[in-house]
Amino acid sequence: MAESERVDETALRRGRRTHPLTGLVQGGLWAGAAIAAIGASYLQGDRWDGVPWWVALLVVVGGGLVVGEVAGFVSWAVTRYVVDDTEVRLDTGLLTTRSRRAAFERIQAVDVAEPLLARLAGLAEVRVDLAGGEESRLVLRFLPLPEARAMRALLLRRAHGAAPGGGPGAVDRADEELITRVPPQRTLLGAVLSLDLLAALGVLGLLALAALGLDEPLVLLGGLVPVVSWAARLVARRVVAEWGFTLWRTPHGLRIERGLLSLTAQTIPFARVQGVAVVEPLLWRRLGWCRLDVDVAGRGTGEDAEHETTLLPIADRALAAALVDELVPEAAGPDRAGPDAVAHDGEVVRASSRSWPCAPVGWRHRWLRPGRSRVVSSTGWVQRTTSHAPWAKAQSIALRQGPLQRRLGVVTIEVHTPDGPVDVDLHHLASDAAWTTLTAVQARARAARPSAPAGGVLGRGIDAAGELP
Amino acid sequence: MDTTLFRPDDVPWRPVSPALTTRRRIVLCGPLAVVGVLLLVAAVVAVPAGASAPVAAGLGAAAALVLGAAAATWAWAERNRRSWGHAEAEDDLLVTSGVMFRRLVVVPYGRVQFVDVEAGPVERRLGIARVTLHTASTETASTIPGLLADEARALRDRLTDLGQARDGGV
Repeated sequence: MAESERVDETALRRGRRTHPLTGLVQGGLWAGAAIAAIGASYLQGDRWDGVPWWVALLVVVGGGLVVGEVAGFVSWAVTRYVVDDTEVRLDTGLLTTRSRRAAFERIQAVDVAEPLLARLAGLAEVRVDLAGGEESRLVLRFLPLPEARAMRALLLRRAHGAAPGGGPGAVDRADEELITRVPPQRTLLGAVLSLDLLAALGVLGLLALAALGLDEPLVLLGGLVPVVSWAARLVARRVVAEWGFTLWRTPHGLRIERGLLSLTAQTIPFARVQGVAVVEPLLWRRLGWCRLDVDVAGRGTGEDAEHETTLLPIADRALAAALVDELVPEAAGPDRAGPDAVAHDGEVVRASSRSWPCAPVGWRHRWLRPGRSRVVSSTGWVQRTTSHAPWAKAQSIALRQGPLQRRLGVVTIEVHTPDGPVDVDLHHLASDAAWTTLTAVQARARAARPSAPAGGVLGRGIDAAGELP
Repeated sequence: MDTTLFRPDDVPWRPVSPALTTRRRIVLCGPLAVVGVLLLVAAVVAVPAGASAPVAAGLGAAAALVLGAAAATWAWAERNRRSWGHAEAEDDLLVTSGVMFRRLVVVPYGRVQFVDVEAGPVERRLGIARVTLHTASTETASTIPGLLADEARALRDRLTDLGQARDGGV
């Protein structure tokens, strides 16, 4: 590690301020909000009668800037971060002080992100993900980029138990291995071929038909604007978020880097993976492409959930299969489960043909395979989703049956996994096969339970946060 | 086959208290009946008070609908109460429920993270409580309503002990 990237640990122990430009950047973000608020009040016209437009503009923009920047500067001035022997702490607040702390042994992942405004100023934020549900993220914003990287390395070293003052630790970019980089033209093509866009085209086609039928070209124009802008926004958002998507393999997990305007990095610790879903929309199947979604403990509940749970936006089948096998491996060798399970080893359970009234085409595409160490289910024919979950993460199991299903003699079986995009269910399985399937699933889940590693990123029992001293 | 699928008979099933029926009738049928009766009274006095005939007929129809719903809920409360059951098997807690929409949940003891015992004012008066099992998945959604308060507490304690003894991690 370069000497310039070393962090002054004694200064950190006393507490340091973030970079002075933080106030400006944060203030800029807030100024945007303030301008919008004052501008809205002007547009709605409350008590602005008789004010010339240029004065109003000055007040809106100037006032917004002043309010935002002052708020940004004050919040910077009262913020300190401290890294001591046991934890990283963020103290902030003018009137009521607030102290967020992250003990090193609770750290799951440390990532560096560069939101657009900060990136323009050469700054970056350090995100520290902690074990345990909501509000479990501590963000240091903003540091100069090299310092942010050094801070990430320092925090990772400490999280791995290195003593303070130790030399450059095990965390280095050298042991990161590039898995794949999604080329920009693929990102674009993938977004263009997505089902959302097809839906938009379908709507446009209907509009065109309606316009021709009614002999009213204005109908087409009226519908064109919202549909096209919706589709453009959809494609743009996806392209901006997934531009330059890069997947790295590190000793502790997979690392994602992505973004066109704002750069985001994100680590997915191997032990926190609770399931992987392979999503194949109709058009992508022709090209042999698929998307990989991942269930990570404590992720995917926020506003950016859709992108936070994407492991790889576009992958080839071979790469997807390899990644799935790496994250949710299927055991080889002797079978430890009881006879109930062995009887159904790797056997595919399909939806009953009696369920055709519920899904005229789809029933042929629904199946579930209770494997040795993972359970796989697949559903959908327009967009096929194949979900993989390790038995070790399976929680409870449920059978369900509604009145129509009873008529048809079918039931739904659900394997409950921790919340996220991966759901392992089989709808409409024949009810005479349900009991044996349930027994097999139960036996598999039971066999996997005692061996379940109670570990977080470092495999040191981080998940069992309640049992830590 | 079909009846035993959701209530396998190799484990001892325990019913929920009949007080659950009473509680549901009080909480659900009570307000419905009050609204229905008010509507009925309004329908009866509507014409003498000077409203037109269609208005009175509409009020009468609404009253009939609401009172019908109250009667249906009254019957449903007992039928649904009978469908509830829980069984403590060797490794799992089984919860079955539903007449129209049937459900059987198998919750391994080792997966139970915590157990809630809750009781509202009506439930407290009737001496019953709800027990909710929480695992790492919200899909589990496993609540047993209408257990006798003592039974509920005992179940919670047993589940908590078993959960600790067989903790397999998330």
